[in-house]
Amino acid sequence: MRKLLDFLISKRHWFLFVLLEIISFVLIYYNHAYQRNIMFGSANVIMGHVATVSSNVVAYLHLREVNRELLERNGQLEMELLDLQDQLEMMHADTVLFRGAVADSTGSFPYRFIVADVVSNSVTCLANYVTLNKGRADGVEPDMGVVSDRGVVGIVSTVSEHFSVVIPLLNPKSRLSCKILGSNYFGSLTWNGHDARLANLEELPRHVKFEKGDTVVTSGYSAVFPAGIIVGRVVDYKKQRDDNFYSLDVELATDFRVLDHVRIIKNYRQAEQKKVEQEAKKND
Amino acid sequence: MINTILRGVVYFVVLVLLQVWVLNNIHFLRVATPFLYLYFILKMPVNASRVHVLFFSFLIGLTIDLFSNTSGMHAAACTLDAFVRQPLIQLLVGKDLPEEILPSYRTFGYGAFFRYVLLFVLIHHVTLFLIESMTFFDPLFLVIRIGASVAASVLLICTVEAFNLGAQPSGD
Repeated sequence: MRKLLDFLISKRHWFLFVLLEIISFVLIYYNHAYQRNIMFGSANVIMGHVATVSSNVVAYLHLREVNRELLERNGQLEMELLDLQDQLEMMHADTVLFRGAVADSTGSFPYRFIVADVVSNSVTCLANYVTLNKGRADGVEPDMGVVSDRGVVGIVSTVSEHFSVVIPLLNPKSRLSCKILGSNYFGSLTWNGHDARLANLEELPRHVKFEKGDTVVTSGYSAVFPAGIIVGRVVDYKKQRDDNFYSLDVELATDFRVLDHVRIIKNYRQAEQKKVEQEAKKND
Repeated sequence: MINTILRGVVYFVVLVLLQVWVLNNIHFLRVATPFLYLYFILKMPVNASRVHVLFFSFLIGLTIDLFSNTSGMHAAACTLDAFVRQPLIQLLVGKDLPEEILPSYRTFGYGAFFRYVLLFVLIHHVTLFLIESMTFFDPLFLVIRIGASVAASVLLICTVEAFNLGAQPSGD
């Protein structure tokens, strides 16, 4: 018995090794299963503050203030524009297509936005993340869309009191439903893993007509983004293996390498849409 | 003893901040990222207990993970590295080392120290990038990334060690 104990004690580093590796892999596993872990990641308050310090060192303070005001104004105008477009489409439907489809007069545009600064960002890892300086205290919730001045950035995944982590388009976990401007067929956008400028739009039916240089926009089906926000531009295309779909190379509109100020889009009706969709699936 | 602990704490803080604030943002030609924080594990005393080495390596790996959103990857790679550290030293330098010495050019000799750093970094990077590529597998890109990052890390660690030489008690 004593010899056994001695033996176990002399080999205790083996046990520690196995234990620590198990802990590590459990952490890796839980990160890979799409999770909302507040404990880890830079949504954590201390990590967020360290990241804020480093981003403050890089940015010029007075430029930031001016930029923020402009951004706020720009965002308001863009929201108004989307609102008006939405109304215009309703009118079209009303007058041209169906007489019965009268626009809902009580309906208002359900999207609002929150301006945020990027405090930490990466573009060259295989799985990139962006950390923002707004959190639950500012009204940010998981699953909100994030856009920059130029186009779509990504979707909020984890939120703490004052910080939030975004899964940008440059992450294998990200899938965004997109369409070519002018057509209504949609495909899903994923990252190619190498280049911060390019992503792939896949599963686009073969009979959809498009040219190189056409604009790719959000489809608006997911309730995360309003329809019609710019994602990028088609630069190349090829047939997919089964020949019925196209795979398009899309040059992203957002330059992730110089990301600074962004807007988080809040959809007041997202929860409602999700709920009704779930109910529909339940009935199957 | 106090000296060793104090040096350990200073190394830990400085190397973690340097890694998180500066080196994590370096992606030379979009493939090579140097991981200088391994210097902390490399420079632990040769006769340190393996339990201590394992524990502190896991700790620094986990700290790096927390700051760079990689939960567990660095911790797993560092723990494996710490586990093979002592057999590696015995293999490269032999068993008859004086007590209480730190790995360095002077105590190991230039060739042996370089081989020690190279093998150590190689094991770490292969583990790290293999774990990372579980989400996204591309063999050629993986090999290029490992090769370039190993070269960057070894170069940086050897340079830092060369400048650190005067400050170290040699122990002999």
